[in-house]
Amino acid sequence: MKFAPSNQPYDTGNFAVFTKNLEKQFGSFTAVKHVNLAVEQGEIFGFLGANGAGKTTAIRMLCGLLLPTSGSGTVAGFDVWRESEKIKQNIGYMSQKFSLYNDLTLAENVEFYGGVYGLNRKTIKEKRHELLDSLGLTASAGRLTRDMPLGYKQRLALGCALLHNPKIIFLDEPTAGVDPEARRNFWELIHELADKGKTVFVTTHYMDEAEYCNRVSIMYQGEIVALGSPQSLRHEYKKASMADVFIKLVDK
Amino acid sequence: MQQILYLIQKEFRQVFRDPSMLFIIFFAPIVQTTVLGLAITVDVKNIQTVITDYDNSTASLAIRRKFKNNPYFSVSGYVESPVQLREKMDGWGAQLAIVIPSHFERDLVRSQQPAIQVIVDGVDGNSAGIALGYALGVLSDYTIDVAMANPALAFSARRIPLVAPLARMWYNLDLESKNYMVPGLIAVLLTMVSLFLSSMGLVREKELGTLEQLMVTPIKTWQLILGKVSPFLILGFLGLAMMLLVAFVVFQLKVAGSLVLLFGLSALFLLTTLGLGILVSTLAHTQQQAMFISWFFMVFLVFMSGFLFPIKNMPHWVQLLTYLNPMRYFIIILREIFLKGSSLKFLLNEIFALVLFASTILTLSSLRFQKRVS
Ligand SMILES: Nc1ncnc2c1ncn2[C@@H]1O[C@H](COP(=O)(O)OP(=O)(O)OP(=O)(O)O)[C@@H](O)[C@H]1O
Ligand SMILES: [Mg+2]
Repeated sequence: MKFAPSNQPYDTGNFAVFTKNLEKQFGSFTAVKHVNLAVEQGEIFGFLGANGAGKTTAIRMLCGLLLPTSGSGTVAGFDVWRESEKIKQNIGYMSQKFSLYNDLTLAENVEFYGGVYGLNRKTIKEKRHELLDSLGLTASAGRLTRDMPLGYKQRLALGCALLHNPKIIFLDEPTAGVDPEARRNFWELIHELADKGKTVFVTTHYMDEAEYCNRVSIMYQGEIVALGSPQSLRHEYKKASMADVFIKLVDK
Repeated sequence: MQQILYLIQKEFRQVFRDPSMLFIIFFAPIVQTTVLGLAITVDVKNIQTVITDYDNSTASLAIRRKFKNNPYFSVSGYVESPVQLREKMDGWGAQLAIVIPSHFERDLVRSQQPAIQVIVDGVDGNSAGIALGYALGVLSDYTIDVAMANPALAFSARRIPLVAPLARMWYNLDLESKNYMVPGLIAVLLTMVSLFLSSMGLVREKELGTLEQLMVTPIKTWQLILGKVSPFLILGFLGLAMMLLVAFVVFQLKVAGSLVLLFGLSALFLLTTLGLGILVSTLAHTQQQAMFISWFFMVFLVFMSGFLFPIKNMPHWVQLLTYLNPMRYFIIILREIFLKGSSLKFLLNEIFALVLFASTILTLSSLRFQKRVS
């Protein structure tokens, strides 16, 4: 297991994501409990858990959207407490809620996010062509986003989150509600990103998707109850699938 | 800077694709200014009037005739005593009473400066003020008649209108309340549209989740706020233009002052209300909450602005509170520019107040608006 030993000096530069006892409380309720993670660069790291496990809360703390209650962490080497704006320059993020504008066309969405990320006009135009082309959406560029199937929309949203070429990308349940075929397509994209050296931090509650990850952590009621590669976890718990591993862990 | 342009472009694309937004920005101001403008300005015709004439002279008859022949007054009768007069007014039979004292004509001729009493039912402050203005107008008219006919009596007649005319009536020369009410109405509608647009606009993105997405981009808070405020500022201008159009076409009003000044100062005011909208959006999680909070502010802004109820009639402590109401200053500015044609240098106090409000509220909302989720 690649748990960071707790006495390790706080040198985290080599990890894409590193946290130590990261914790978040809402009032008296602890949504995320002492989470320790060390995600390697170029890794596809799965963040598994049932509804309400605390996945979104954890990911928001890592993206600089939410201040932790206690603990520490770095993303791309930047501190989650003090350097959230630096983190934002270096990551891509797809929120759990749909992140494109339904009342803009596909092309307009790409343009808008390109603009917000501060790319110049020429680059935006190039990226727009490139992105729509690679998704086979060039013919639909002028269609309103709301008229597209969710699978396409999610792949486009991923493309938008990557416009500024971030090293790390956080995806919060990108495949929720997407049909199996489109889910497979989406995971292909994730693998392409990893091949290009990007770190992908992805949450899901589909246990079968764990198999696509290099390593997964399983979260239960705010705590990480297991962490490792899918093979090692299946082996450790002597189960045939990750779904069974999960049930075993949660039933304890 | 470029980021802001993309935000503005996006906002315009969304607005012009959304029929309900187009309705709010273009159609609603036209309909509301017309209908409400007509509704709140009809109350000053046919002022129910009673006359008590203790003199029954040629002079008093001339005055009675003047009121009778004036279309704004409907003389419902002549009463004999103060008691009857009181009854009549208490029973809503009259809004205005003219009391001509005995020996009026004799005193006039003897240069003893007789006075005529005008009594107004002050329950409805605005129409009372206007009714009083009309009555004083009629009496002044009579004074002039007397002076023209016999210049020697000019001095004696000068105190006939006992009450000094209200200052604002001087600028409302054709004695029509629309001149006074329509600018106020424009201020109210402009406040409403801008406050709702900006608070709902941001909260809508909160609800949809796109705001969370924007917060993870490297965009700066002030850029985000500017990108939200500027499109609505421009849309507010469009709304204002629509309302001015109604003022010109339907109400035949003219702007005595500079249109450029009017738009410039409206921009200043819009920055205040749009900033307030952003402040509201930091307090609300849903559009419904944003709506409620906006209404909460709206009610205070409107009723304590002097639009419907003159500030002078309010309790002293409420009067002091109205100084905290940016709309109070904006209504003054609009009425001054519309009616008096006041130029910049006569409006410096109001402008100073608005600058203070706009900068405070925008600063406050930028401070409260965090690039984080709560
Ligand atoms: N702002 C908040 N205030 C109070 N409680 C919150 C807040 N945000 C989340 N929670 C609570 O924290 C817990 C974890 O929520 P979180 O959204 O992180 O779970 P999740 O694993 O992402 O679940 P899901 O699969 O539903 O997205 C939930 O019980 C939720 O109700
Ligand atoms: Mg979640």
